[in-house]
Amino acid sequence: MKAKRFAWMAAPLLAGILALAALPAAQADDSAATSTAPPAAPKKKITGVELYAIHCNRCHPERYPQEFDQRQWPTYMLHMRVRANLPAAQAREIMKYLQEEAGN
Amino acid sequence: MKLRSYKLGAAVTGCALGLGLPMTAPAAITDAAFNAWTNMVTKQGQMIEDLKKTHEQDQQEIQELKQQLGQTQELATNAVQKAEAASQNQPVYQAPNPATTASHNFSVIGDAEVQFGKTDGQHATFALADFAPIFLFRANDDTLFEAGFDITLNNNVNPDGTRAPGSATTVSLSFAQMDYTLNDYATLCAGDVILPLGTYSQRAAGWLNKIPDDPLVRDWLPGSGIGAMIQGALPVGQRGQSFTYAVYVCNGPSSGNVTNGFGGPMDLDLGGNVGDSPNWHANPSAGGRLAYFIPWKVHYDLEVGVAGQSGEWTDFGNHLWSSCVVDAALHLGPYFEAKGEFINTWFGTDKNGTLGPKGLWVQASYKLAGLKQNLPLLNNLELVSRYDNVNDSMGTRTDRYTVGYVYYLSNTLLFEGDYEWLKSRGPNALPSSLFVLQLSYGF
Repeated sequence: MKAKRFAWMAAPLLAGILALAALPAAQADDSAATSTAPPAAPKKKITGVELYAIHCNRCHPERYPQEFDQRQWPTYMLHMRVRANLPAAQAREIMKYLQEEAGN
Repeated sequence: MKLRSYKLGAAVTGCALGLGLPMTAPAAITDAAFNAWTNMVTKQGQMIEDLKKTHEQDQQEIQELKQQLGQTQELATNAVQKAEAASQNQPVYQAPNPATTASHNFSVIGDAEVQFGKTDGQHATFALADFAPIFLFRANDDTLFEAGFDITLNNNVNPDGTRAPGSATTVSLSFAQMDYTLNDYATLCAGDVILPLGTYSQRAAGWLNKIPDDPLVRDWLPGSGIGAMIQGALPVGQRGQSFTYAVYVCNGPSSGNVTNGFGGPMDLDLGGNVGDSPNWHANPSAGGRLAYFIPWKVHYDLEVGVAGQSGEWTDFGNHLWSSCVVDAALHLGPYFEAKGEFINTWFGTDKNGTLGPKGLWVQASYKLAGLKQNLPLLNNLELVSRYDNVNDSMGTRTDRYTVGYVYYLSNTLLFEGDYEWLKSRGPNALPSSLFVLQLSYGF
């Protein structure tokens, strides 16, 4: 009985979160402007920085390229390619971006 | 006699000519000139003496150098002979490549958690200290060894769940696999492999899942399995879409009835059948996952997947354990995420027929930074909610509602909290509601 009452409290919160989801959709242009990478033109080939923003955020907060140096990223990237089952070509593009922006 | 007469005649003639010639030359050389000539001759004599000494020194040095050269040649000859002799007795190993032995190819990542919680009717407690490192070693661009451990500290409990004195540190191997990229579209993973039954096992670290406790129904799936898997991804188009697949074989679950490996309803052991003992049953299990990932722009994407596994679980091989998992994850902008899984399993038993534990979980979260209020405390906060249920098909059904938050102290340090309302009924009903606070760090 108690659980059922609390369940009714949780349901509106879940609904509220779903409603909030409409905000970023309505403000897509703004949110994209503040994100790591701007959205590309529809027919343009996707870039490494875009793939980085797409894939890394699926599971965890972004790890900034400067957090590791050029020699460390290959190990982490190979691990993430396997763990997230990323396409090899996309993993290479992400890798290129990370090494270009890597810390010292 | 005749020759002597000629010589004598020539001498007399010479003397006569000498007396007859005018003597003008001695009169042309002065004393100064004579002295100058004398000095010059003396100096040249000294120079010749010096050159002689230098020459002798040079000859001495040449002899010494020749001697040293001979010794060096002897040493070199001996070394070559020794090397040749050694090479005939033992293999010559290739020197290690610095590029593949450098320390940066060995890395440690992972997560750590500290948890404080209170269950209704019990005292609040610091419930968990967990350190979960993942060791990575990249042998080359195609080969990676990775092993994840879970080191936790817990109070001792008796088998019946009652308290026992003391505590215990548990070290468990979460997974240990070798990954070898065969080509751009296939990677071989072998060892204790994380099974792709849904995505939760691969994204379950404390700083990834946003809610400290696992969904209840995940207890009915193995997290990893001893076996081999081939997985890969095929890019579709130029906008980041991809089709992913994974197929594997593994030992599969076994019977926890250690006496005879029977198939009682409580004997199913999803985490067993590992190690160097023979497979407890005759045949391995097989499984796989197919998924499609569709990003339509940065931070806006949808992933859907379906996975399954089937194989024997009793020692006699007379019963199968099977599972089916449907998963989905949706991102609408950088602030909103929704994801979930539906899980259905089946396993045959000796006396109870086929049982089918099943359940689902759906989770949604929203980062308040999306409200654009320019309030640092608010911008670092994410609200999260989850509903999950499980039906063990043996008379116990549990529904759980969870609301919570994640406060991002940094991109890898999270302070999480949630309250969980449980409604559980049946012979194996779960404990009551609880709240949990957790500090999670990913590294």
